[in-house]
Amino acid sequence: MSKELSTWLDKLLQELEGIEFRRKSARRLRVDVAPDALPALLELLRGRASYVHLSAISCVDWIEEGEFELVYHVWSYELQSLVSAHTRIPREPGRYISVYDIYPAAGFFERDIHEMFGVWFEGAPDMSKFILTEWDGPPPMRKEFDSEAWVNAHFDWQDYNPEWLQDLVAQGGGIAIPPDEQRFSRRNVDET
Amino acid sequence: MSALDKIQVREERLPPSKGQAQAGKGTNPLANVFDELINFARSRSLFMLHYCTGCGAIELPPAMTSRFDMERLGVQPMVSPRQADILLVTGYVSVKTLKRVILTYEQMSAPKYVIGICSCTVNGGMYWQSYATAKKLNDYLPVDIYIAGCMPRPEAVIAGLRDLIENIKHGEANSWKDYYQRYDHYLGNQQRLFGEDWQTPTNVIGEARHYGLFGPETLGAHTALLEQYQRPLDALDMKIEIPELQRFQRP
Repeated sequence: MSKELSTWLDKLLQELEGIEFRRKSARRLRVDVAPDALPALLELLRGRASYVHLSAISCVDWIEEGEFELVYHVWSYELQSLVSAHTRIPREPGRYISVYDIYPAAGFFERDIHEMFGVWFEGAPDMSKFILTEWDGPPPMRKEFDSEAWVNAHFDWQDYNPEWLQDLVAQGGGIAIPPDEQRFSRRNVDET
Repeated sequence: MSALDKIQVREERLPPSKGQAQAGKGTNPLANVFDELINFARSRSLFMLHYCTGCGAIELPPAMTSRFDMERLGVQPMVSPRQADILLVTGYVSVKTLKRVILTYEQMSAPKYVIGICSCTVNGGMYWQSYATAKKLNDYLPVDIYIAGCMPRPEAVIAGLRDLIENIKHGEANSWKDYYQRYDHYLGNQQRLFGEDWQTPTNVIGEARHYGLFGPETLGAHTALLEQYQRPLDALDMKIEIPELQRFQRP
């Protein structure tokens, strides 16, 4: 039964224009689609092909190509199979349309992507802070966000050769790193 | 030299505490005897609030229960910060969690001790590069003992607790006094991370005066900001929106 259905789905998708699909295994299908066609594809998958469960929306930052890749993972309980719909949107201005009206669960994923990558979703019910409340820096999952520099600017590092460690080393334990071999320490940051 | 003079040798183990007169020196030597008795009793009955922030918490159930049995040392878990002596921070502390840890710490009554377990509390551990994880716990709280390891085994936890017990017995675990004496330093680090308008509802400066630990470094540039951004603590609005409960509401 389910095998027949997936064959029909393959045939159906082949007839649609502007999409590229690749069956990765019997239960996984990858579809690459233009951003303006994605909502229609999801509508079709949900309404006609029983893909009622949106597992996740993931976002990939392709900084060199200036694009965000959004991946919509939808699952069908009847076919027991997963379709990953990939689409690419320009990094600037980073706006896309919400699929909240098709999958209500998308509200949470879009809110999360908005705070982690700064992508704005038109028509999403709530774009306020989700997990990163109390965070007022840039979206931290963007590739241009230098986590290491941020950490060096906001935190001090433990002195790697404190007295208690010298005591431990004298007793035959511990790993002592001499200060010039320490890669990350407040001292080095101040000098450069 | 009388026998009573010899007892005072013990007192030299005490580090000179700033801002507080050395009580009983040369006046009443028996006061020190009483202090030692108190320190001994205190070291043998420690209530521990374990703030399970990270994965290190998983080593505590075996340390507490019958296999390693922390309670034979007199250490037992306690559920509320007001009744606890030890604040055990087990694992990485995110910036959001750190605020709660500080609130919890300030609610504990003195003397209070902080133990940082796992590499993450020492230096961020495997989250050294993370924008969301605090790196040095002793920037924000006075830490008595660090138990390093990823994660430390229950033996290491017990060894660390034994060290703390020894320190308390000899009157050396005085870092809680440091929080009052150098409050400006700790508050400055907290403000650097949380912003200038960071406030806790606890009156730490008043407590420092109460304990006689008000020192020259208690106040400073950062505590001045505290007064500048001070907000009055208002009671939260009571809103009952459940229709079935509307009739209980006063008009």
